[in-house]
Amino acid sequence: MKTTTRLLAVLAGTTLLTQAAAAQELNALVWCDHTDDALIKPFEDKFGVKVNLKEYEGTGAALSLIEQSQPGDWDVLVVDGIDVPRVVSAGILGPLPVGDLPYDSLFPEMVMEENHVIDGQTYAISEKFGYNTVSFNSAAVSAEDLSDMTALWSDNAPGSMAVYDYYVPVMGMVAMGLGIPTADITLDDLPAIEAALMKLKDNASSVGEVVSSQTAIATGEVDILFGGGEWVTAGLTGDLPDLDWLIPEQGAVRWSQSIGVFADSKQPDLAVEFVKHVLSPQGQAALATSSCYWAMPANRMAGAMMTDEQKAALRWDQQVDYLNKADLYPTPDADLDAAMQDVWTRFLAH
Amino acid sequence: MMRFAACATYMALLYGFIFLPVGVLALFSFQDGRFPIPPFQGFSLRWHAEVLGDADLIAALLNSLMVAFASSAMAVTLGFLAARAVATGRLPRAKAISAALTAPLSVSYLVIGLGLLASFNLMGQSLSLATVAVGHIVINTPLCFAICAAAIGPAQQSAERAARDLGASELRVMWLVTAPMILPALLAAFLLSVTFSWDEFIIAFLLSRFDVTLPVEIWSLLRSGLNPKTNAVGSLVFMLSAIAVLGVELATMRRK
Amino acid sequence: MSKTLTIEGRDRRRALALAAPALLWTLVFFALPFGVMAVLSLWQRTDQGLEAAWTLANYAKFASSPAYLQAALNSLEITVVVTVLSVALAYPLAWIIAVELPAKYRRLALALAVVPFWTSYVVRSYAWSLVLAKRGVLNGWLGDLGLPLMDLANSRAATVIGFTHFFTMLLTLTIYASLVQLPPNLRRAAADLGAGPVQIFRFIVWPLALPGVMVGAFLTFALCIGDYVTPQILGGGNDLALPQLVMLQIGRRADLPMAAALSIVLMAAVTLAYIAMARWMKEPSK
Repeated sequence: MKTTTRLLAVLAGTTLLTQAAAAQELNALVWCDHTDDALIKPFEDKFGVKVNLKEYEGTGAALSLIEQSQPGDWDVLVVDGIDVPRVVSAGILGPLPVGDLPYDSLFPEMVMEENHVIDGQTYAISEKFGYNTVSFNSAAVSAEDLSDMTALWSDNAPGSMAVYDYYVPVMGMVAMGLGIPTADITLDDLPAIEAALMKLKDNASSVGEVVSSQTAIATGEVDILFGGGEWVTAGLTGDLPDLDWLIPEQGAVRWSQSIGVFADSKQPDLAVEFVKHVLSPQGQAALATSSCYWAMPANRMAGAMMTDEQKAALRWDQQVDYLNKADLYPTPDADLDAAMQDVWTRFLAH
Repeated sequence: MMRFAACATYMALLYGFIFLPVGVLALFSFQDGRFPIPPFQGFSLRWHAEVLGDADLIAALLNSLMVAFASSAMAVTLGFLAARAVATGRLPRAKAISAALTAPLSVSYLVIGLGLLASFNLMGQSLSLATVAVGHIVINTPLCFAICAAAIGPAQQSAERAARDLGASELRVMWLVTAPMILPALLAAFLLSVTFSWDEFIIAFLLSRFDVTLPVEIWSLLRSGLNPKTNAVGSLVFMLSAIAVLGVELATMRRK
Repeated sequence: MSKTLTIEGRDRRRALALAAPALLWTLVFFALPFGVMAVLSLWQRTDQGLEAAWTLANYAKFASSPAYLQAALNSLEITVVVTVLSVALAYPLAWIIAVELPAKYRRLALALAVVPFWTSYVVRSYAWSLVLAKRGVLNGWLGDLGLPLMDLANSRAATVIGFTHFFTMLLTLTIYASLVQLPPNLRRAAADLGAGPVQIFRFIVWPLALPGVMVGAFLTFALCIGDYVTPQILGGGNDLALPQLVMLQIGRRADLPMAAALSIVLMAAVTLAYIAMARWMKEPSK
């Protein structure tokens, strides 16, 4: 009997242990570009707190992690801009104090009120954006060969290819290639998109997430990355000057990340401070050139903190043109989203 | 002679296959460049230094050690007690109990991890290193039980009986007679558990949150960019483990 | 009489108390979660969260969608190929170490055969991806030798190679263990009676060592079919395996019920393999 009691004591002990860690720590659920010391350390030092970061890829994964947590576990969420209404309607995010945030210095396209403001309350603010388009190795493929996106799912693909493993932007791109604006995708369009995807898969040697995609193109495994963009190549151009990216004539998909504070955060003030830090010019410059992936900062003022080479790699001066050519991520409702995921599963299994 | 040549060739080929990835891993951990693939651009300790200077990796390494030792100690204890219960011959339904205790051995870690994740969710239990340890005890207890059960034989039982006849209490019998007699088995069970826990990924991945074990940290390193740092971690882990194994080997040899 | 009975009762209670902690642990943290999964697999994921729908819809979806069935088939094929290959590679090595090698080298040879065990599991798969990459080490060598290059990376072949590497080490260990247990004088006696080496192997060593080999093969099967890391790192998003499909449900859709249903399917496959093995081993003629 003694051993049973001891066992119960151990069990009780583990429960206590897990609940003791709450003091001055900020818990943030983020994409992998938020984990650099260059971004986090200044905040930790300034406020004397520890920032706990959990990385994820794709909003579904974030929702999964949130559901596996207890209320109050999380303070800050970084999420795709187009998914903000979805997480707000699920009651995940709380309102932000608009007056404290640098709205005036954002790129105008990044304000995205229709996504961030719901019933008059602001729930999130853009922090970073970029494009899902086509990255390529200019030593092996010419830009002309890639200007028509449909060539990539034709019988004569212009080169060896990998596909970025995230269904939302890649299916959005294919839709653009087929002449369907991303906002207009319906269930009826899926068969055509799926047919193109399957041919894309036939032409591709691999499908991978952020790093395996980078690896594939950086090591010469493939010459083209479908779904890539500045986020793949900009950070690598120092070592590999041949890596390049372009937007095909049919257009591309623009992604953006937003940051907000959890509705049930136990330390909303500190969480808002973190949001302000990430949106500050210093924070923005660090975020734009993070080791996981580079992309444009949402705050124009970050430009002053970045070198000319960095800005050139991100095509800072051509953003007006790029923003024009790119559609936003598709925003599928639940039914369409489920159907799109089914198509994607078939694509992976193909 | 022919036979010797055939054996030697086969051994050479297979050892080559077995060592190929480890060798490549170690070689390119010294790569003086950004990519761990040929051509080898020269010798550099830069990536090893980066690993040793990476606070997250070192923290994960300590976490892994902690989880491995704590969960293995618990697993050996549980396994040993149960093995002794079976060995008394007095345990009702001993066969069924043995089968139940070894059942987790044939269940995939992914399934065990998912089941625990869902259960902790329902219980409202936050994830932490403790939940990882719980999972590792689940996978290691059957192993420890099996190893201890195999080691407790008639010799132990007659010694135990003698001790009992001399008036020793049950606890004293266990601590002073059985445990020392099967010490090598207990040690083997413990070390095997430590190894499994140390290297286990999927359960640790599913059941941890901010404080993670080394395999989980390596997994996120792998996903945060291609560079020879991952090679350096792998080589260092390998050296660390090899030294530990060698140490144990030498210790047990001297005992003999 | 009654005294012995109470002693016996006391002994039984004592034995039960000893087994209780392990049993309780297994019950609470293994059997119960398994039950939770089984129940969860009958639920549904909706926009609002998890709904206790009590439906077989998740299983129906598995059975009716070709992509899911394909993933299960991929897993099964990969696992069978890996199991057969690993046994075929490990058996001769275990034999050489256990029988052909002078006794004093045995321990060293065995230790060497499992040394790479001690690199991290995740890193081992990654290391294979470096070896097999298009511009990796293997193709570097082939190029130097003037041989045609191989396109193995990001494919089922890469997954199979990664798995086979791991399980060859594991099986060398288990097969060695069952080979050294055979008394050497059995072989000597057979030789004295005029049996040739082939006959000795066919009629003595093979059948006697078979149970150990089968247990190792089953272990390989169970571990291989349930592994996520190797196909994820080496498969390159081609030939999706069942564990990857399970992780997709959690990672992409937050669909724990579907993940639970797929896990149950996975377990069913392992159980079938176990039954097959148990049957096969019971057949006396083998």
